Amino acid sequence: MEAERSLDTGKLKVWLVWIAVLVITVVVFASGHSTPRKYPERKLVRFWHRWQGDWEKQVQKIVDAFNASQNEYEVVPVSVPSSGADAKFILGVIGGDPPDLMSMFSGGVPNLAANGFLTPLDTLMTPAEKDAFINKSYPSIRDIGMYKGRPYGITIGADLTALYVNVKQLREAGLDPDKFPMTLEELEEWGMKLNKYDAQGHLTRLGFLLSDVGYLSHYFGGGFYVHEDGSLELNTPQNVRALKTIVDYRKRIGFENVLRFQAGLNDIEGAASWAFMHGDLSITYDGQWRVEELRKFKPDLEYRVIPIPPPKEGGTPLGGLVGGNYMIIPVSAKQKQGAWEFLKFWSGLDNPDRAAKFYNMGGWLPYSPAVANSPTFQKWLKGDQQFQAFIDILGSPNCKAPPPIANLQFLNDLITRAEDEATRGAQSPEDALKELETKFKEERDKRRALGYDE
Amino acid sequence: MSRTSHHKARQYLTGYLFIAPWLIGFLVFTVWPFFQSIYLSFTRYNIVSPAKWVGVSNYRMLLTQDELFWKSAWVTIKFALFSVPLGIVAGVSLALLLNLNVKGITTFRTIFYLPSIVPTVATSVLFIWILNPTIGLVNRVLMLAGIQGPSWLNTAPWAFYSLVMMSLWGVGGSMIIYLAGLKDIPQHLYEAATIDGANAFRKMRHITLPMMTPVIFFNLVMGIIGTFQYFTQAYVIAPSGGPGDSTYFYSLYLYNRAWKYLDMGYASAMAWMLFLLIIVLTGLVFKTQKRWVHYGG
Repeated sequence: MEAERSLDTGKLKVWLVWIAVLVITVVVFASGHSTPRKYPERKLVRFWHRWQGDWEKQVQKIVDAFNASQNEYEVVPVSVPSSGADAKFILGVIGGDPPDLMSMFSGGVPNLAANGFLTPLDTLMTPAEKDAFINKSYPSIRDIGMYKGRPYGITIGADLTALYVNVKQLREAGLDPDKFPMTLEELEEWGMKLNKYDAQGHLTRLGFLLSDVGYLSHYFGGGFYVHEDGSLELNTPQNVRALKTIVDYRKRIGFENVLRFQAGLNDIEGAASWAFMHGDLSITYDGQWRVEELRKFKPDLEYRVIPIPPPKEGGTPLGGLVGGNYMIIPVSAKQKQGAWEFLKFWSGLDNPDRAAKFYNMGGWLPYSPAVANSPTFQKWLKGDQQFQAFIDILGSPNCKAPPPIANLQFLNDLITRAEDEATRGAQSPEDALKELETKFKEERDKRRALGYDE
Repeated sequence: MSRTSHHKARQYLTGYLFIAPWLIGFLVFTVWPFFQSIYLSFTRYNIVSPAKWVGVSNYRMLLTQDELFWKSAWVTIKFALFSVPLGIVAGVSLALLLNLNVKGITTFRTIFYLPSIVPTVATSVLFIWILNPTIGLVNRVLMLAGIQGPSWLNTAPWAFYSLVMMSLWGVGGSMIIYLAGLKDIPQHLYEAATIDGANAFRKMRHITLPMMTPVIFFNLVMGIIGTFQYFTQAYVIAPSGGPGDSTYFYSLYLYNRAWKYLDMGYASAMAWMLFLLIIVLTGLVFKTQKRWVHYGG
């Protein structure tokens, strides 16, 4: 009897194990494999992007608007985590199963174009569309998606940087926000006045901090460039001056102090935890998308957005370096035309006013003055006037695109490394940029020896 | 064909059919890429276009013109020099402690083993917070003792040593193997030593450690192979290899060459250099085993 019971229990256990295995198998293999289709009769356009959280919701709204606007295509968006998104894309292309459209960070566009991963978009454009894109875009936004004179990427979310200023903290420190510094040197002094420290001398509030030599160099009349004729603008007096200014200012505050303070900030990009919102930063420079975030998450904060003032001597106002999200169509995409139709719809190439509201939803910069001047965009600007500073920078001749070279990522890494070395005091700004140029030349020689064009 | 040999052939066939899925997978996903990468290391290759033969250019440039290659190789070797011995000492010590006959020892074993099964990415993110200079647990504890801890992950050389320290987090995996090795030591050796009047230290020195050497040898070899392929933690914590290239590990540089700069031929050459280095080092360790590894018992 006892033996029979244990046998039954044994059988029951075996059955339970089998059922568990079956359930797990079904859950693992059945979930996530079917593409959610609302319109299965239409042609599928697979769209990969890197937005998450609130932005992902905005993307979904734009996709829904496109899907509702026509009967031929259905765009299905998939949010791909930023880290490794490029590798996933590359694997998709070589595996013959890429997305039809992808939103990619601009730094990777020239390299992918040079290596034959991307469809030249002019092959999909009508002559009118080509004219609108080539001749009526903001030059910096257009140029960042170009490689060897052909367009490979079109922005739907370009980024620029300007100063965000906490008006209340300025007043508390006895500074008049209506008389904002006209020079970088004055701004540095304001920053020092706005710093706050605890009893041990640790920063508890950062007034202002200079960083990002790639961006800031444009205010010194510089910038990191590799020209088509092969000439370099890397270790230039302007760039050295920009880096030196960053280093000297950090020294004044204390490198270690800044590092500790920044590491302690619970500052997750894109979330409502931005340090500026919580008063930990008095003046900071950040991207235009923060305007929309502030409107949503901190509508009662009194702030202003002001372009970075240029240095007193040899400065160039309204400088900038465009970056951000660029739409690309892989060379092996199955539904190129559908991808192009969606890209046109979102960017506003065919209808600037309709697209204006899409740019507003994510706080993105428009690709052309036609969108910026459209009634819808202008109406939105009246409600979010701080955004105007970015439009001003975008329209400035000092606002540039990075050089369209295949090894742009390598150059960007060198710039980051040089700034890191100089701000840590491991190298002087002069030596850091000298080394940057030497290393870039070495890499270029190496690439040429291997048969690359550049 | 006799009936017996026919039966044997059928048995072989059945056996191979059973292992066929693994065998095919091994041939397609391991053996073929392995040999293909040898060829690719002599080419310029960006994945989409056909590979172009460049001879030994990739190797020549690596060895003579690429400062970062040497830098990242040195970071990795230095990491192996610190983390492998440290891992062995920590693993053996922990195993000895968890081999004691005390109440609740199975619970302790579970607790010490658990960290090794936490996903590497989760562990890395956890350590970013633990080592935060302002609000991190480590500096908070140091502050209680009146010590102001460094900016662990943001300054050189602390970032490197933080990663070494982090490597101990997963020591539970090797600890289990050491524990199994300890359990395998015949009891009569200790009994004989007790009769001879040996104290605990002598037993450890002349019985436990010599009998553990095969397990230590195994973990040493696996440790060397593992640390030379160290990637995930460095990629999550310092993807650019900073500060000051102090955490620019070889595999991280290889990854950037392959996926960021789309230089697959060069990356393949790097992979082969790494493979050769691991083979040489493992060979050296194998050569020394006659002197210090004791099999038997």
